[in-house]
Amino acid sequence: MKNFEYFKPSTLKEASELLIKKGANAHILNGGTDLIIRMKEGITSPDVVVDIKGIKELHNIKFDEKEGLFVGACVVLNDMAHNQIVKEKYKVLSNAAKSVGSGQIRNKATMTGNICNASPLADTSTPLLALDAKVLVYGPNGEREIPINELFVWVRKVSLEHGEIVKGVRIPAYENIIGDFQKISRRKEVDLSTVASTVVKINDEIRIALASVAPTPIRARKAESFIKGKKLTDEVIEEAAKIAASEASPIEDVRASKEYRIEMIKIAVKRNLNAVRS
Amino acid sequence: MKYVGTSVNRVDGIKKVTGDLKYVDDLKFPRMLYAAVKRSTRPHAKIIHIDISKAEKLPGVKVITTGKDFPKRVGLYLEDKNFLAVDKVRYMGEAVAAVAAETEEIAHEAVKLIEIEYEDLPIVTNALDAMKEDAPLIHPDLGTYKYASVFAPKPDTNISNHYKVRKGDVEEAFKKADYIFENDFYVPHIQHCPIENHSAIASVDREGSLTVWASCQSPYAVRLALSVAFDIPLNKIRVLSPAVGGGFGSKAGTTLEGIVIPLAMKSKGRPVKLTFSRKDEFINSFVRQGMHSKFKTGVMKNGKIIAIKDQYVWDGGAYTEYGVNITKAAGFAAVGPYDIENIWCDSYCVYTNHPVGGPYRGFGMSEIQFGIERNMNIIANELGIDPIEIRRINAQKVGGRTATNAPIDTCGLLDCLDQVLEDFDPNEKVESLSPNKVRAKGIAFGMKAPSMPNNVASSAIVRLNEDGTAYLLVSAQDIGQGSDTALTQFAAEVLSIPPEKITIKTGDTDHTPYEWQTVASRITYCAGNSVINACEDAKAQLLELASLKLGIYKRDLKLEDGYVVSTIYPDKKVAIADLSLGLTMPDGSGIHGPIIGRGVFIPPNVKDHDHETGLGDKPVAYWTYGCQGVDIEVDTQTGNIKVLNVVSSFDVGKVVNPTLVEGQIEGAIVQGIGSALWEELKFKDGKPLNPSFVDYKIPTANDMPEMIIKFIENEEKTGPFGARGVSEPAMIPSAPAIANALCDALGITINSLPLTPEKVLNAMKEKNNK
Amino acid sequence: MKYKINFILNNENVEHEVEANRTLLKVLREDFDLTGAKEGCGLGECGACTILVDGRPVNACMMLGIEADGKEILTIEGLSNGTKLDELQLSFVNNGALQCGYCTPGMIMSAKGLLKENATPTEDEVKEAISGNLCRCTGYKKIVEAIMEVVENNK
Repeated sequence: MKNFEYFKPSTLKEASELLIKKGANAHILNGGTDLIIRMKEGITSPDVVVDIKGIKELHNIKFDEKEGLFVGACVVLNDMAHNQIVKEKYKVLSNAAKSVGSGQIRNKATMTGNICNASPLADTSTPLLALDAKVLVYGPNGEREIPINELFVWVRKVSLEHGEIVKGVRIPAYENIIGDFQKISRRKEVDLSTVASTVVKINDEIRIALASVAPTPIRARKAESFIKGKKLTDEVIEEAAKIAASEASPIEDVRASKEYRIEMIKIAVKRNLNAVRS
Repeated sequence: MKYVGTSVNRVDGIKKVTGDLKYVDDLKFPRMLYAAVKRSTRPHAKIIHIDISKAEKLPGVKVITTGKDFPKRVGLYLEDKNFLAVDKVRYMGEAVAAVAAETEEIAHEAVKLIEIEYEDLPIVTNALDAMKEDAPLIHPDLGTYKYASVFAPKPDTNISNHYKVRKGDVEEAFKKADYIFENDFYVPHIQHCPIENHSAIASVDREGSLTVWASCQSPYAVRLALSVAFDIPLNKIRVLSPAVGGGFGSKAGTTLEGIVIPLAMKSKGRPVKLTFSRKDEFINSFVRQGMHSKFKTGVMKNGKIIAIKDQYVWDGGAYTEYGVNITKAAGFAAVGPYDIENIWCDSYCVYTNHPVGGPYRGFGMSEIQFGIERNMNIIANELGIDPIEIRRINAQKVGGRTATNAPIDTCGLLDCLDQVLEDFDPNEKVESLSPNKVRAKGIAFGMKAPSMPNNVASSAIVRLNEDGTAYLLVSAQDIGQGSDTALTQFAAEVLSIPPEKITIKTGDTDHTPYEWQTVASRITYCAGNSVINACEDAKAQLLELASLKLGIYKRDLKLEDGYVVSTIYPDKKVAIADLSLGLTMPDGSGIHGPIIGRGVFIPPNVKDHDHETGLGDKPVAYWTYGCQGVDIEVDTQTGNIKVLNVVSSFDVGKVVNPTLVEGQIEGAIVQGIGSALWEELKFKDGKPLNPSFVDYKIPTANDMPEMIIKFIENEEKTGPFGARGVSEPAMIPSAPAIANALCDALGITINSLPLTPEKVLNAMKEKNNK
Repeated sequence: MKYKINFILNNENVEHEVEANRTLLKVLREDFDLTGAKEGCGLGECGACTILVDGRPVNACMMLGIEADGKEILTIEGLSNGTKLDELQLSFVNNGALQCGYCTPGMIMSAKGLLKENATPTEDEVKEAISGNLCRCTGYKKIVEAIMEVVENNK
């Protein structure tokens, strides 16, 4: 690992200014489970690392009926997954978080990190996409909100400007979420998704999100509109799963072939839809 | 027996649970340098030029070596490899140059600065292609290489060994057979994945004496290889193996030791350390060879197999110095645990541009018996015979013959089958709780002999202390299998001293006596016998002295709980402690001196096979037989398999320590599950695609099935207290049993490992399209 | 450049200087000679380097040394009190829950982390909690049994 300058600011302002002052080769450090690997392998070699874990407000996790759930950028996945409110009101998010890596990784990694890496297979991206989450961003020109589906641009590329820092993720409050998360992988524990999917039913509206099927995690909007207004019969589910698969553009890699992934999208979505219909 | 047969706690347990035990990578010496290796980026190429000028200038770089510094070829059975490539690279990742520097970071930085100019050569990455006449030759000079006389390399080809079995007349038998079946199988390259990566430290003093600390299974074999490679007399090389964090064969030979030594020779007395990264571990320690097998089987209507003609083609990789012996071992077991009258077997070790193949738990047996056991089920299904019945009909039994026509005098195979069936009903149908899943059951046999040269030697020394405690010195290595504990139990039993009063010392060629290698499930058997002999020697000395002291004939004395005791008058006794330094006579004079027992062992009467026919009366010390039944659940939508229950039975001769033997079997089953379901080191044009735990998955605690572990104890007459080895054999039946369960239940055919979800779904599709 | 950090290491306050690019695993092993935590993969996949940070299992290879500032770090060496072994360590020895021993310190620390959070886990919860710790020798059965024995003893 190449050496670098390390800063641990205690405010967002300070952190953002540091990033801007140090230029393009300054990198944010949060949980570090991705960045440290990339630094060890020499894929990323920042001159400056800005550790945001010293910023208190980023460790908050809070809920209110109006604003919904806020998960601070530095909340580790295990804390989020086992948070009482998350377990009660956003079970699908808790389940997705629990499927990331090992217990040791989840004690360090965060959901914000999971999505900011913009890995096509980020498990927590699917419940966030399905729940229309918003990413709260602090920047030199003030704060802004990015709808989660606009965050992902391409493989490992997000729509954040240099100097911007994600404060956390906000998930709207919903009356009653019926949701289901599916992960298809080679090994059950501690594995990357071959395909991951989340389906939520909110007042009769069905939303479908997929990961590991395209350059970014996606919503299967055609499948959603096909379902709209229909009763979830076996036939409708079968057809919706096919449509969802047609919206994806998976690749072949060492984990699976393209054909297998397409098959698995259908299976995952079918399982999701079956779970939410009852 | 007092100690043998009981679950004595591991003698190395406390050191290991506290983190106190120092493995090689935990060692640190003053002024130590750190090494890094420049590796080939080409699968097959001439080295035109190596430019180290930039690397040399980097501050902190102390030594750089290339293959030219030590161009002598080495190898255990066939001298075909260099520790650093000379003139040519033959696989991607091969070591080309090495750097020693003040820190690991500097060493790695320097490696990046070494520039190598290559001229690519045509590659061959499929062993079947490599056997063809027009295949590019990977070792054009094979004809000039030195090799052990039991092997048969073919000059001007890529075949580094051809072992054949010619028994009976297969062609004649095929004419008589009611049915002929032909099936092909493939097992891929897999990795041992010990959790400890290879590590070695070398230091050369001003006298020219070399000391090497290595995480190795076989310090004496390493010492010999280094002596040959670097022209250093054996008395000037000391190899220490302080602890080994798992081996499974990967640490059986010499790998990185040969890279650090040249660096240490030029580092002016500073020790040099090299530790493999996990990626290195995947590519640059041995891999289990990929293997193509092909069977033509002649069967009678009643299920009796009368002839098998088979071919094993091993993807030996770029160097086969160790791999050639695996192809030979495979020949000895040409048709697995079955008694077949007519056999024609060709086993070829073939060079390819893949990483170096070598020993892996089971030494060829898991590879061949996957095909043998699948073949058995395919034939049974075609004939409409129960797969268990066809096994019973053809199994090796006492009075029968092995593949090499050796008479069988002990064989617990069917006992193991019956023992498994007590807890495993193959015909009981169990419905899965999930509509998408199917439950399935399968069974497979396994057998293995210690695969070692005929005359390999073991030795042990036992030294008694003044207080009646003892030191046991051996060079058998505890690589996790528990040999320190088992060997201590043997000593305790013979000397009648509790195990906690015996301290075992291993792994130091300057101080612990000769042991050929810790491989082949041979340590309990070979080292065990030498320990017993050493303790018997010490015991004889004790009885001699006690006889004088007590005035009782030696034949009327025995050892009991730290005393030499009269078998006639139990109150007549003398403490071992009082005899440990010799005997003091009534006049105050002394005789004899300290009690030191020596013991040696070579497996008795193991002889060479006939070169032309492969036949031999006793080519191996003994066979270990066993059987496994598995119960799996298949997700027919995703193709994922979960192994739910396993029942295992092996004929171990004598259970020396129930907890330890169970541990070996449980570990072997789970390792076998890994090889069945996920494990494959994948390559594209010689490039390894998944050399990390991210994409090479091994089982976690969650993948462990319920396991019932049972034993048969048919005594091995030459074994210590009747015991025979079992650590490797236990892995052999796992993968074929799982494949048999899967294929029989779903009516599909998958003849290669691993049984990936994708293969399962494709096979189901194929079946539905038929 | 070196940075000054303060943390609690195996129940003692320590002040230390580290370079930013060194992992906590390297710092523990090289600077403090605490070699119980091992490097098995360097990528957070094998768990051989597991230690407790503020009571929770973390891969020391996935954490910078400098991130230890202000934290409470417990390694396998700090688990026993002199020659008095922790109940998990004893149970591992008594149940034969180790073979080569290389994964053992990490395995025990993961189990310790679990029991600190949940003193009465089920067998499935134990398996899940140690699924980030690879063991190639034992097949895991005796490890799970050793942990469950501690759980039962404490009920």
